[in-house]
Amino acid sequence: MPGIDECLLEAMRLPGARGAALVDWTSGLALGTVGDAPGGDHETTAAEAAELARMAAEHGTFAAHGDELPPVEDVIISNGDSYHLLRFVDTSFDSSVFLHLWLGREDGNLALARIRLGEMAARLVLG
Amino acid sequence: MVRTTPPALPVRDRQATRALSPMLTRLAEERATGVLVREHGVLYLAEGRVVHAESPHAPGLDVLLTAHGTLAGAAWQQAAAQTPGPLHAAELLLRSGILPTGALELCHLDALYDAGYFALAPSSTPGRFRYDPAPRPGPLPSVPVVALERETLRRRLLLHRLWPDPAADSTPLIRADPAAGRAPAAPVTPRQRAVLDRVDGLRTAADIARNLGRQAYHTLVDVRRLTAAGHVSPTAPAPPAPVPLPPHQVTTDPDIALLKRLRDALEAL
Repeated sequence: MPGIDECLLEAMRLPGARGAALVDWTSGLALGTVGDAPGGDHETTAAEAAELARMAAEHGTFAAHGDELPPVEDVIISNGDSYHLLRFVDTSFDSSVFLHLWLGREDGNLALARIRLGEMAARLVLG
Repeated sequence: MVRTTPPALPVRDRQATRALSPMLTRLAEERATGVLVREHGVLYLAEGRVVHAESPHAPGLDVLLTAHGTLAGAAWQQAAAQTPGPLHAAELLLRSGILPTGALELCHLDALYDAGYFALAPSSTPGRFRYDPAPRPGPLPSVPVVALERETLRRRLLLHRLWPDPAADSTPLIRADPAAGRAPAAPVTPRQRAVLDRVDGLRTAADIARNLGRQAYHTLVDVRRLTAAGHVSPTAPAPPAPVPLPPHQVTTDPDIALLKRLRDALEAL
Protein backbone atom coordinates (compact mmCIF):
# COMPACT_ATOMS: atom_id res chain seq x y z
CA MET A 1 0.00 0.00 0.00
CA PRO A 2 1.44 3.37 -0.93
CA GLY A 3 2.39 5.98 1.63
CA ILE A 4 2.49 9.71 1.00
CA ASP A 5 5.98 9.69 -0.54
CA GLU A 6 5.25 6.75 -2.84
CA CYS A 7 2.06 8.45 -4.00
CA LEU A 8 3.92 11.67 -4.86
CA LEU A 9 6.71 9.78 -6.62
CA GLU A 10 4.10 7.94 -8.68
CA ALA A 11 2.56 11.27 -9.68
CA MET A 12 6.01 12.41 -10.81
CA ARG A 13 6.13 9.54 -13.31
CA LEU A 14 3.30 11.11 -15.31
CA PRO A 15 4.48 12.67 -18.57
CA GLY A 16 5.51 16.28 -18.11
CA ALA A 17 5.36 16.22 -14.28
CA ARG A 18 7.48 18.98 -12.74
CA GLY A 19 6.48 18.77 -9.11
CA ALA A 20 3.89 17.33 -6.77
CA ALA A 21 2.74 17.95 -3.21
CA LEU A 22 0.18 16.85 -0.65
CA VAL A 23 -1.24 20.01 0.92
CA ASP A 24 -3.65 20.80 3.76
CA TRP A 25 -5.97 23.52 2.51
CA THR A 26 -7.05 24.79 5.93
CA SER A 27 -3.56 25.57 7.18
CA GLY A 28 -1.64 25.75 3.88
CA LEU A 29 0.90 23.20 5.11
CA ALA A 30 2.66 20.92 2.61
CA LEU A 31 2.63 17.46 4.20
CA GLY A 32 4.87 16.09 1.47
CA THR A 33 6.62 17.44 -1.61
CA VAL A 34 8.67 16.10 -4.54
CA GLY A 35 10.28 17.67 -7.59
CA ASP A 36 10.21 21.38 -8.37
CA ALA A 37 7.84 24.15 -7.37
CA PRO A 38 7.04 27.29 -9.35
CA GLY A 39 9.43 29.93 -8.03
CA GLY A 40 11.47 27.19 -6.40
CA ASP A 41 9.60 27.29 -3.11
CA HIS A 42 7.25 24.48 -2.12
CA GLU A 43 6.02 26.33 0.97
CA THR A 44 4.84 29.38 -0.94
CA THR A 45 3.31 27.17 -3.60
CA ALA A 46 1.45 25.14 -0.97
CA ALA A 47 0.06 28.25 0.74
CA GLU A 48 -1.14 29.76 -2.54
CA ALA A 49 -2.59 26.51 -3.88
CA ALA A 50 -4.35 25.98 -0.53
CA GLU A 51 -6.02 29.36 -0.88
CA LEU A 52 -7.35 28.41 -4.30
CA ALA A 53 -8.50 24.98 -3.11
CA ARG A 54 -10.29 26.45 -0.11
CA MET A 55 -12.20 28.92 -2.26
CA ALA A 56 -13.30 26.10 -4.57
CA ALA A 57 -14.22 23.78 -1.70
CA GLU A 58 -16.16 26.32 0.32
CA HIS A 59 -18.24 28.12 -2.28
CA GLY A 60 -21.51 26.42 -3.04
CA THR A 61 -21.35 27.41 -6.69
CA PHE A 62 -18.75 24.75 -7.41
CA ALA A 63 -20.16 21.99 -5.23
CA ALA A 64 -21.76 18.80 -6.53
CA HIS A 65 -25.37 18.37 -5.49
CA GLY A 66 -25.68 15.17 -3.57
CA ASP A 67 -24.99 14.44 0.06
CA GLU A 68 -22.79 11.45 -0.69
CA LEU A 69 -20.53 13.29 -3.11
CA PRO A 70 -17.45 15.27 -2.07
CA PRO A 71 -18.14 18.93 -2.91
CA VAL A 72 -15.33 19.28 -5.44
CA GLU A 73 -13.05 16.76 -7.19
CA ASP A 74 -10.48 18.82 -9.06
CA VAL A 75 -9.36 22.36 -9.66
CA ILE A 76 -7.54 22.85 -12.95
CA ILE A 77 -5.49 25.89 -13.92
CA SER A 78 -3.80 26.23 -17.25
CA ASN A 79 -1.32 28.88 -18.29
CA GLY A 80 0.97 29.48 -21.24
CA ASP A 81 3.53 26.88 -20.26
CA SER A 82 2.02 24.61 -17.64
CA TYR A 83 -0.99 23.03 -15.97
CA HIS A 84 -1.81 22.89 -12.29
CA LEU A 85 -4.05 20.07 -11.20
CA LEU A 86 -5.43 20.02 -7.65
CA ARG A 87 -7.18 16.79 -6.67
CA PHE A 88 -9.10 16.70 -3.39
CA VAL A 89 -8.44 13.63 -1.28
CA ASP A 90 -11.62 12.20 0.19
CA THR A 91 -10.65 10.66 3.53
CA SER A 92 -12.89 8.67 5.85
CA PHE A 93 -11.51 10.68 8.79
CA ASP A 94 -11.82 14.44 8.95
CA SER A 95 -9.13 16.20 6.92
CA SER A 96 -8.75 18.89 4.30
CA VAL A 97 -6.05 17.79 1.89
CA PHE A 98 -5.45 17.75 -1.84
CA LEU A 99 -2.79 16.52 -4.23
CA HIS A 100 -1.19 19.26 -6.29
CA LEU A 101 0.46 18.24 -9.56
CA TRP A 102 2.39 20.74 -11.69
CA LEU A 103 2.72 19.66 -15.30
CA GLY A 104 4.73 21.10 -18.18
CA ARG A 105 2.42 21.99 -21.03
CA GLU A 106 4.66 20.58 -23.77
CA ASP A 107 4.72 17.01 -22.47
CA GLY A 108 1.80 16.99 -20.09
CA ASN A 109 -1.46 15.24 -20.90
CA LEU A 110 -4.10 16.92 -18.77
CA ALA A 111 -6.83 14.34 -19.35
CA LEU A 112 -4.57 11.41 -18.52
CA ALA A 113 -3.11 13.19 -15.50
CA ARG A 114 -6.55 13.98 -14.16
CA ILE A 115 -7.64 10.35 -14.29
CA ARG A 116 -4.37 9.03 -12.83
CA LEU A 117 -4.24 11.61 -10.03
CA GLY A 118 -7.77 10.67 -9.05
CA GLU A 119 -6.75 7.02 -8.84
CA MET A 120 -3.68 7.91 -6.78
CA ALA A 121 -5.74 10.02 -4.38
CA ALA A 122 -8.09 7.08 -3.83
CA ARG A 123 -5.27 4.56 -3.35
CA LEU A 124 -3.51 6.86 -0.91
CA VAL A 125 -6.32 6.67 1.60
CA LEU A 126 -8.13 3.48 0.63
CA GLY A 127 -5.10 1.28 0.01
CA MET B 1 -23.14 42.55 -1.43
CA VAL B 2 -19.88 43.84 -0.12
CA ARG B 3 -17.62 41.05 0.96
CA THR B 4 -14.14 41.40 2.18
CA THR B 5 -11.58 39.08 0.69
CA PRO B 6 -10.38 36.60 3.27
CA PRO B 7 -6.78 37.13 4.21
CA ALA B 8 -4.27 35.07 2.29
CA LEU B 9 -2.63 32.11 3.96
CA PRO B 10 0.65 33.40 5.28
CA VAL B 11 3.88 32.13 3.81
CA ARG B 12 6.61 31.21 6.24
CA ASP B 13 9.13 33.94 6.65
CA ARG B 14 12.45 32.34 5.88
CA GLN B 15 14.23 35.13 7.70
CA ALA B 16 12.38 34.40 10.91
CA THR B 17 14.65 32.02 12.69
CA ARG B 18 13.27 32.85 16.12
CA ALA B 19 12.99 29.63 18.04
CA LEU B 20 9.83 29.06 20.02
CA SER B 21 11.69 27.10 22.63
CA PRO B 22 15.44 27.51 23.04
CA MET B 23 15.48 24.23 24.95
CA LEU B 24 13.87 22.45 22.02
CA THR B 25 16.41 23.94 19.61
CA ARG B 26 19.24 22.70 21.81
CA LEU B 27 17.68 19.24 22.02
CA ALA B 28 17.35 19.09 18.24
CA GLU B 29 21.00 20.13 17.83
CA GLU B 30 22.21 17.41 20.13
CA ARG B 31 19.86 14.91 18.42
CA ALA B 32 18.30 14.09 21.77
CA THR B 33 15.85 11.28 22.37
CA GLY B 34 13.22 11.68 25.06
CA VAL B 35 10.07 13.47 26.11
CA LEU B 36 9.64 17.25 26.38
CA VAL B 37 6.79 18.15 28.72
CA ARG B 38 5.51 21.69 28.31
CA GLU B 39 2.56 23.45 29.90
CA HIS B 40 0.14 22.82 27.02
CA GLY B 41 1.44 19.61 25.53
CA VAL B 42 4.14 17.00 25.15
CA LEU B 43 6.62 16.43 22.33
CA TYR B 44 8.31 13.06 21.79
CA LEU B 45 11.75 13.37 20.23
CA ALA B 46 13.77 10.63 18.58
CA GLU B 47 17.29 11.60 17.51
CA GLY B 48 16.27 15.25 17.53
CA ARG B 49 13.14 14.84 15.39
CA VAL B 50 9.54 15.06 16.55
CA VAL B 51 7.94 11.63 16.20
CA HIS B 52 4.75 12.27 18.15
CA ALA B 53 2.93 15.05 20.00
CA GLU B 54 0.08 15.15 22.47
CA SER B 55 -1.91 18.01 23.94
CA PRO B 56 -5.02 18.20 26.11
CA HIS B 57 -6.23 20.88 23.67
CA ALA B 58 -6.09 18.64 20.59
CA PRO B 59 -7.88 15.34 19.87
CA GLY B 60 -5.44 12.47 19.61
CA LEU B 61 -4.93 10.12 16.70
CA ASP B 62 -7.40 7.73 18.34
CA VAL B 63 -10.19 10.32 18.29
CA LEU B 64 -9.47 11.38 14.70
CA LEU B 65 -9.43 7.75 13.50
CA THR B 66 -12.47 6.47 15.38
CA ALA B 67 -14.81 9.50 15.29
CA HIS B 68 -15.94 8.89 11.72
CA GLY B 69 -15.56 5.13 11.66
CA THR B 70 -12.19 4.97 9.88
CA LEU B 71 -11.19 2.56 12.61
CA ALA B 72 -13.44 0.71 15.04
CA GLY B 73 -12.98 1.88 18.61
CA ALA B 74 -12.34 -1.70 19.67
CA ALA B 75 -9.51 -2.05 17.13
CA TRP B 76 -7.77 0.99 18.58
CA GLN B 77 -8.24 -0.21 22.14
CA GLN B 78 -6.82 -3.59 21.23
CA ALA B 79 -3.73 -1.97 19.69
CA ALA B 80 -3.38 0.43 22.62
CA ALA B 81 -3.58 -2.41 25.13
CA GLN B 82 -0.63 -4.17 23.49
CA THR B 83 1.63 -1.13 23.29
CA PRO B 84 3.12 1.46 25.67
CA GLY B 85 1.65 4.53 23.95
CA PRO B 86 -0.40 5.96 21.07
CA LEU B 87 2.57 6.20 18.68
CA HIS B 88 3.39 2.53 19.15
CA ALA B 89 -0.29 1.67 18.80
CA ALA B 90 -0.34 3.51 15.46
CA GLU B 91 2.77 1.63 14.34
CA LEU B 92 1.13 -1.64 15.29
CA LEU B 93 -1.91 -0.71 13.20
CA LEU B 94 0.41 0.11 10.31
CA ARG B 95 2.16 -3.26 10.54
CA SER B 96 -1.12 -5.13 10.85
CA GLY B 97 -2.38 -3.56 7.62
CA ILE B 98 -5.80 -2.73 9.10
CA LEU B 99 -5.51 0.81 7.74
CA PRO B 100 -4.07 2.00 4.42
CA THR B 101 -0.53 3.34 4.85
CA GLY B 102 -1.31 6.72 3.29
CA ALA B 103 -4.35 7.27 5.48
CA LEU B 104 -2.45 6.45 8.65
CA GLU B 105 0.57 8.59 7.67
CA LEU B 106 -1.71 11.49 6.85
CA CYS B 107 -3.71 11.22 10.06
CA HIS B 108 -0.51 10.84 12.10
CA LEU B 109 1.00 14.01 10.59
CA ASP B 110 -2.30 15.89 11.05
CA ALA B 111 -2.34 14.93 14.74
CA LEU B 112 1.35 15.70 15.20
CA TYR B 113 1.18 19.24 13.80
CA ASP B 114 -2.11 19.83 15.61
CA ALA B 115 -0.91 18.81 19.08
CA GLY B 116 2.49 20.36 18.37
CA TYR B 117 0.84 23.72 17.74
CA PHE B 118 -0.56 23.71 21.28
CA ALA B 119 2.51 22.13 22.88
CA LEU B 120 4.56 25.06 21.57
CA ALA B 121 2.07 27.71 22.75
CA PRO B 122 3.54 30.35 25.07
CA SER B 123 3.69 28.96 28.57
CA SER B 124 4.06 30.38 32.02
CA THR B 125 6.24 27.56 33.27
CA PRO B 126 9.50 26.20 31.86
CA GLY B 127 9.42 22.92 29.95
CA ARG B 128 10.98 19.77 31.37
CA PHE B 129 12.89 17.28 29.26
CA ARG B 130 13.36 13.68 30.24
CA TYR B 131 15.93 11.62 28.38
CA ASP B 132 14.12 8.42 27.55
CA PRO B 133 15.08 5.80 25.00
CA ALA B 134 11.45 4.85 24.27
CA PRO B 135 10.74 7.26 21.37
CA ARG B 136 12.52 5.94 18.30
CA PRO B 137 12.38 6.68 14.61
CA GLY B 138 9.71 4.34 13.31
CA PRO B 139 7.85 3.64 10.10
CA LEU B 140 5.56 6.66 10.51
CA PRO B 141 6.89 10.02 9.29
CA SER B 142 8.72 12.28 11.75
CA VAL B 143 9.14 16.03 11.52
CA PRO B 144 12.27 18.16 12.09
CA VAL B 145 11.93 20.43 15.13
CA VAL B 146 12.55 23.50 13.01
CA ALA B 147 9.73 22.52 10.62
CA LEU B 148 7.25 22.15 13.49
CA GLU B 149 8.33 25.50 14.96
CA ARG B 150 8.04 27.33 11.65
CA GLU B 151 4.64 25.79 10.92
CA THR B 152 3.42 26.71 14.42
CA LEU B 153 4.49 30.33 13.91
CA ARG B 154 2.80 30.39 10.51
CA ARG B 155 -0.41 29.00 12.02
CA ARG B 156 -0.38 31.65 14.75
CA LEU B 157 -0.03 34.32 12.10
CA LEU B 158 -2.93 32.87 10.09
CA LEU B 159 -5.24 32.97 13.13
CA HIS B 160 -4.13 36.50 13.93
CA ARG B 161 -4.95 37.62 10.39
CA LEU B 162 -8.39 36.02 10.49
CA TRP B 163 -9.37 37.67 13.78
CA PRO B 164 -6.81 39.19 16.09
CA ASP B 165 -8.47 38.45 19.45
CA PRO B 166 -7.41 35.01 20.79
CA ALA B 167 -10.18 34.96 23.43
CA ALA B 168 -12.37 32.67 21.31
CA ASP B 169 -9.66 30.00 21.26
CA SER B 170 -10.01 28.94 24.85
CA THR B 171 -13.21 30.20 26.47
CA PRO B 172 -16.71 28.72 26.04
CA LEU B 173 -18.42 30.10 22.94
CA ILE B 174 -21.86 31.62 22.52
CA ARG B 175 -23.89 32.39 19.42
CA ALA B 176 -23.97 36.03 18.41
CA ASP B 177 -26.17 38.05 16.13
CA PRO B 178 -24.22 38.75 12.96
CA ALA B 179 -26.43 41.73 12.19
CA ALA B 180 -25.19 43.55 15.27
CA GLY B 181 -22.54 45.88 14.06
CA ARG B 182 -19.92 44.37 11.81
CA ALA B 183 -19.61 44.17 8.06
CA PRO B 184 -22.00 41.90 6.11
CA ALA B 185 -21.31 38.36 7.19
CA ALA B 186 -19.66 35.93 4.83
CA PRO B 187 -21.84 32.88 4.14
CA VAL B 188 -21.34 30.06 6.61
CA THR B 189 -19.71 27.05 4.96
CA PRO B 190 -20.93 23.50 5.70
CA ARG B 191 -17.85 22.84 7.85
CA GLN B 192 -18.43 26.04 9.80
CA ARG B 193 -22.13 25.17 10.13
CA ALA B 194 -21.19 21.97 11.98
CA VAL B 195 -19.06 24.02 14.37
CA LEU B 196 -21.76 26.65 14.82
CA ASP B 197 -24.36 23.97 15.60
CA ARG B 198 -22.27 22.89 18.58
CA VAL B 199 -21.81 26.36 20.07
CA ASP B 200 -23.91 26.20 23.23
CA GLY B 201 -22.36 28.56 25.75
CA LEU B 202 -20.49 25.72 27.44
CA ARG B 203 -18.24 24.14 24.84
CA THR B 204 -14.86 25.60 23.95
CA ALA B 205 -13.28 25.27 20.50
CA ALA B 206 -11.29 22.27 21.80
CA ASP B 207 -14.51 20.60 23.01
CA ILE B 208 -16.13 21.16 19.62
CA ALA B 209 -13.09 19.73 17.81
CA ARG B 210 -13.24 16.60 19.94
CA ASN B 211 -17.00 16.32 19.46
CA LEU B 212 -16.60 16.55 15.69
CA GLY B 213 -13.46 14.40 15.52
CA ARG B 214 -11.64 17.26 13.84
CA GLN B 215 -8.22 18.76 14.29
CA ALA B 216 -8.31 21.45 16.97
CA TYR B 217 -6.35 23.99 14.95
CA HIS B 218 -8.72 23.58 12.01
CA THR B 219 -11.58 24.24 14.40
CA LEU B 220 -9.82 27.37 15.67
CA VAL B 221 -9.65 28.59 12.06
CA ASP B 222 -13.41 28.09 11.71
CA VAL B 223 -14.09 29.71 15.09
CA ARG B 224 -11.97 32.77 14.31
CA ARG B 225 -13.69 33.12 10.92
CA LEU B 226 -17.11 32.77 12.57
CA THR B 227 -16.07 35.32 15.19
CA ALA B 228 -14.88 37.74 12.52
CA ALA B 229 -18.22 37.33 10.73
CA GLY B 230 -20.10 37.99 13.98
CA HIS B 231 -21.73 34.55 14.34
CA VAL B 232 -19.88 33.57 17.48
CA SER B 233 -18.31 35.29 20.41
CA PRO B 234 -16.36 34.18 23.45
CA THR B 235 -18.20 34.27 26.75
CA ALA B 236 -17.02 37.08 28.94
CA PRO B 237 -14.07 35.91 30.98
CA ALA B 238 -14.63 35.65 34.72
CA PRO B 239 -13.87 38.96 36.43
CA PRO B 240 -10.37 38.98 37.80
CA ALA B 241 -10.05 38.34 41.50
CA PRO B 242 -9.77 41.59 43.41
CA VAL B 243 -6.18 42.57 43.82
CA PRO B 244 -5.27 42.52 47.49
CA LEU B 245 -4.23 45.88 48.76
CA PRO B 246 -0.51 46.21 49.21
CA PRO B 247 0.60 45.96 52.79
CA HIS B 248 0.89 49.25 54.52
CA GLN B 249 4.11 50.95 53.60
CA VAL B 250 6.27 51.37 56.63
CA THR B 251 9.39 52.45 54.81
CA THR B 252 9.54 56.17 54.46
CA ASP B 253 12.98 56.25 52.97
CA PRO B 254 13.33 53.51 50.35
CA ASP B 255 16.80 52.60 49.31
CA ILE B 256 16.79 54.17 45.84
CA ALA B 257 20.11 52.65 44.85
CA LEU B 258 18.92 49.17 45.77
CA LEU B 259 15.70 49.62 43.82
CA LYS B 260 17.65 50.81 40.78
CA ARG B 261 19.96 47.81 40.95
CA LEU B 262 16.93 45.55 41.26
CA ARG B 263 15.27 47.18 38.27
CA ASP B 264 18.42 46.87 36.17
CA ALA B 265 18.77 43.24 37.10
CA LEU B 266 15.15 42.54 36.19
CA GLU B 267 15.49 44.30 32.85
CA ALA B 268 18.61 42.34 32.08
CA LEU B 269 16.77 39.02 32.48
